[in-house]
Amino acid sequence: MTALLSVTDLSVAIGSKSLVKKVSFDVASGEVLSIVGESGSGKSMTAKALMGLLPNKASATGRAMFDGMDLLAPEVQPPRGTGIGLIFQEPMTALTPVLTIGLQLTEALVSHGICNAGEAQRRAIAMLDRVGIPSPADRMRQYPHELSGGMRQRVVIAMMMLLDPRILIADEPTTALDVTVQAQILDLLREIVTDTQIGLILITHDMGVVAEMADNVLVMKAGKAEEFGPVQRIFAAPEADYTTALLDAVPRIDASNSRKPALTEPLLKAGGINKTFAKRGAIFSKAARYKALDDVSLTMHRGETLALVGESGSGKTTLGRIIARLTEADTGTVTLSDTDLSALYGRELQDKRREVQMIFQDPYASLDPRHTVGRTIAEPMIIHQELSRSERSERVHELLEKVGLSADMAQRYPHEFSGGQRQRIAIARAIAAKPSLVVADEPTSALDVSIQAKVLDLLENLKRSEDLTLLFISHDLAVVRQIADRVAVMRNGRILELGPSAELFAEPRHPYTRALIDVAPVPNPTRKRGKRPVLQGDYPTGPLSEIGPGHWVAA
Amino acid sequence: MWRFLSTRILMGALTIWITTILVTLLIHAVPGDPVQIMYAQSQGTTPEQIEEVRRSLGLDRPIPVQYAMFMERLAQGDMGNTIRGGQPVLDVIMQRLPNTLVLACAAMFIAVLIGVPIGFLAAYHKGSLTDVTLMFVAIAGISMPHFWLGLVLLFFFAVELGWLPVSGNGWLNLVLPALTLGLSNAAIFARLTRSSMIDVMNQDFVQTAMAKGLPKALVLRRHVLRAGLLPVVTMMGLQFAFMMGGAIVVENIFSWNGVGRMAVEAIFQRDYPIIQGFILTFSVVVVLVAITIDALYAVLDPRIRRS
Amino acid sequence: MSVAPDIDVTKAPPGFLWRLVRSPSSAIGLVIVLLLIFCALFADVLAPYDPNKMGSGGRFLPPSGDFLLGTDEFGRDMLSRILFGSRITLLVGAVAVGISLTIGMAVGMIAAFRRGWIEAILMRSTDVLFSFTETLIALSFVAVLGPSLQNAIIAVGVAGIPFYSRTCYSAALVETSKPYFEASIAAGARPTRMVLVHLLPNVMPTMIVVATLGVSTAILAAAGLSFLGLGAQPPTSEWGYMLAGSRDYINRAPWLMTIPGIAIAITVLGFNLLGDGLRTSLDPVERK
Repeated sequence: MTALLSVTDLSVAIGSKSLVKKVSFDVASGEVLSIVGESGSGKSMTAKALMGLLPNKASATGRAMFDGMDLLAPEVQPPRGTGIGLIFQEPMTALTPVLTIGLQLTEALVSHGICNAGEAQRRAIAMLDRVGIPSPADRMRQYPHELSGGMRQRVVIAMMMLLDPRILIADEPTTALDVTVQAQILDLLREIVTDTQIGLILITHDMGVVAEMADNVLVMKAGKAEEFGPVQRIFAAPEADYTTALLDAVPRIDASNSRKPALTEPLLKAGGINKTFAKRGAIFSKAARYKALDDVSLTMHRGETLALVGESGSGKTTLGRIIARLTEADTGTVTLSDTDLSALYGRELQDKRREVQMIFQDPYASLDPRHTVGRTIAEPMIIHQELSRSERSERVHELLEKVGLSADMAQRYPHEFSGGQRQRIAIARAIAAKPSLVVADEPTSALDVSIQAKVLDLLENLKRSEDLTLLFISHDLAVVRQIADRVAVMRNGRILELGPSAELFAEPRHPYTRALIDVAPVPNPTRKRGKRPVLQGDYPTGPLSEIGPGHWVAA
Repeated sequence: MWRFLSTRILMGALTIWITTILVTLLIHAVPGDPVQIMYAQSQGTTPEQIEEVRRSLGLDRPIPVQYAMFMERLAQGDMGNTIRGGQPVLDVIMQRLPNTLVLACAAMFIAVLIGVPIGFLAAYHKGSLTDVTLMFVAIAGISMPHFWLGLVLLFFFAVELGWLPVSGNGWLNLVLPALTLGLSNAAIFARLTRSSMIDVMNQDFVQTAMAKGLPKALVLRRHVLRAGLLPVVTMMGLQFAFMMGGAIVVENIFSWNGVGRMAVEAIFQRDYPIIQGFILTFSVVVVLVAITIDALYAVLDPRIRRS
Repeated sequence: MSVAPDIDVTKAPPGFLWRLVRSPSSAIGLVIVLLLIFCALFADVLAPYDPNKMGSGGRFLPPSGDFLLGTDEFGRDMLSRILFGSRITLLVGAVAVGISLTIGMAVGMIAAFRRGWIEAILMRSTDVLFSFTETLIALSFVAVLGPSLQNAIIAVGVAGIPFYSRTCYSAALVETSKPYFEASIAAGARPTRMVLVHLLPNVMPTMIVVATLGVSTAILAAAGLSFLGLGAQPPTSEWGYMLAGSRDYINRAPWLMTIPGIAIAITVLGFNLLGDGLRTSLDPVERK
């Protein structure tokens, strides 16, 4: 069977900088090729080169044979849309906000002269139905902002498929979506491949997605192709070192976990927390409010790692911020070893703040760009005026070493460091004040997989050496599995299940927990891939009842 | 959408209300005795007449009472009388206001007609010589004082070439002042349109449109233009206010009989009733125009229209 | 959730000065501004005649060897008047912007930091004042205090406050929502420290750009007031005032109109080019 697309020695360069170095691969009809790599690997550039959508200063060399023509030849105009389609990462910004969905679906059909406007309308409605959008006829007159992220992505897929391409490139199509929505989109894509026998190039950084979707895998690193082969082999017997390292670093939800929750005394008690947000600028509308936290209570024991897990809107970040007193709860109390934190204000609060520190998701905005790294780390000490200047300097060096960096980095500025390094610096700052509790809000979500593994290891080590209690907030169940002693599953502002990590993953008792675990992509290609059940809307959200020692489930 | 608009209208009403307060307080901010100053230049006013004025303006009463008196008179359409000639201020303003509005609108028309296409052209050819040249012309245009531009135009077209009359109030007289005001602001529109278009062109949805294989011209016309013009509409409200301000000077140069010219004369003559009336009118006009433009924006942007 | 680049990023400012002059337009702007400062500082030395002395030469003399820029209706030397006028122009720009900047930044930063009702009051007031437009505020000021250069400068300064506070507020809001800001709060920093040590240094780059561009606006505004006779009074050699005086003699002595106008235009152009250049060169080097 001849390949639909055959790429040989594709290289992309901007000026003297080489972004993609001699990459080769094939895609056959009805086949899914997954291009996997971390940031800077050149995977997006490869896609853009095939579509002829490279930025002005970039140039591509090599051969990409599609339908008898070389896409990379200078005089060739790649058949965008009708031959090859492309779906981007961010569904929220992928559609033009001022045009109706209907127009955006039909315009390409009309523009390419495939059919007239009336026929295009019919086809568009049919395709919306095909991609699983309810009341398709009504949607045609709606605008993008009236649709959710998952729906918008479906619309984009519909838009591309209407043009009947032979190849579809999807560049991180589900990275910005919740894991439950991700599952649906991936299912949709697989269906399309089976039905229409197109070739799908799926670009991703998530090995779980690769395992679930791909027939063949191309592993890229820093512009070079590290490895290319069938998915089973890549996972079972990787040949390149990089691939091996990548597979090792990926957290596994199905890994064995022999953690036992600590039986120590309670450190932090959060009781009856309620928080409602009003949308800014809304004066007269009721719909503008939404309840972020609904009567949530939680206890943390000294020395444990408790994970808050949930999708967007679950309230996990809000709860973490309330505990760190960065957001104020409407009602409820937060007590840290007998001190009611929620009742403190002004100077008292500022003094007590050192007990609870926070690590944030975005390493790039976590450090003041105008201060040296050393100054940033020393800040808690400066504020509480404890050590002399030389003592502080010593401690800064000590902290830098503890987080795996070197002491001479204290004079440098944040922009000189990578994302992973900046996160380490943020961690150093967090422990500088010798806190009892550290709240980590998605600390590794913005980092590459290989860096993530190292940072998680660091957190574990520090927890032990600095005698910390860790509140770990994440949407990624696999990561949580690896690091947490106890897990609290949240949805729409309520805790639905709370229990020891090993038990919860082995035998989830709440249907929502079960669903979350089911849809999470597992980096194991031999697992059976069937169509996953659609997540229902209604789950029991009643008060928690204890169904086992330390294991609570919402009724 | 109505939530958006009602907020704006509320703010507008608040602004006008605060203006009335400030206007009442204005007289008291003058160092010295305001009534004496007002009549300093008109001979033959007896102390009794001055006292009469003081009483009628309520200047001998506490400020809240003055304010109440002022608002009461205002509600009846009475803004007081001018110091010179004793005419009702409202009449004086209403005679001249249409002229200023015509000037500002004509200038806005010119500014948008010239500025927006230039900005668009520059954005389309971003980085090229066309772009650099056009933008340099724009920045030169912004740097030029509009009163100087007015003088230069007056000199060339009216004095030297005699194509247009030097002063007067006919339609032909509108050309030079409108051009003066319009050209300076055209530069601002050009720069703004350019940056707005460039911002839009970098957005994801433009990439999506290209990925569908749409021709570049179509993408620009349908996707970029509509999205990019929205900020320009917002800017129009702001620019109208600036043009009203600029009209003050331009009216002086060309002896155009609008409220701007009247205001400057009033300042020299310390004719406070006119000054107060002018400030109030100016505010009201600017607020009304701003609300109108906001309403236009709300209709054009589906994200607001449908919320 | 974007996946972060794990590559080392190049160093940013020190290179900024070099980037500034690399672009021809901002280099030109810098040169013009420096020239202005030079003229203002050394006007005494550079000016061949006393700018206020009537009858230094004959009246209405066109530019010539003795009087490089000609003389005006009183026989005063134009070149000297222009040179001394640069001093006033610089003063106007510096003081007016100084007023607007300090008060505007204070308002903007406090509003962004404090949030809540303080923010609402401050920003709503700013919006209301903003809608009055700078021209009106300046005019009202002069109407109350009387025409004089000093009052014109203060008027322009005060009139600019709403714009600066709004801009500073937006910039400060961006910074206060960043994690590093919250991390310092979490560490227990006092509000004063937060504003002075973290907020101020991070909004400064934006505000410097705005202030540079604002100098040109202030100069134009003050010149406009002087042109109307509401600012500089005779015999001050302020450029706007000089333009006003030239109106009656457009036919007879067109250089009286051209020269001050060009002076203003070039000065303003210089600050605009410089401001634009600063804006581009202060753009963060790294990309996510």
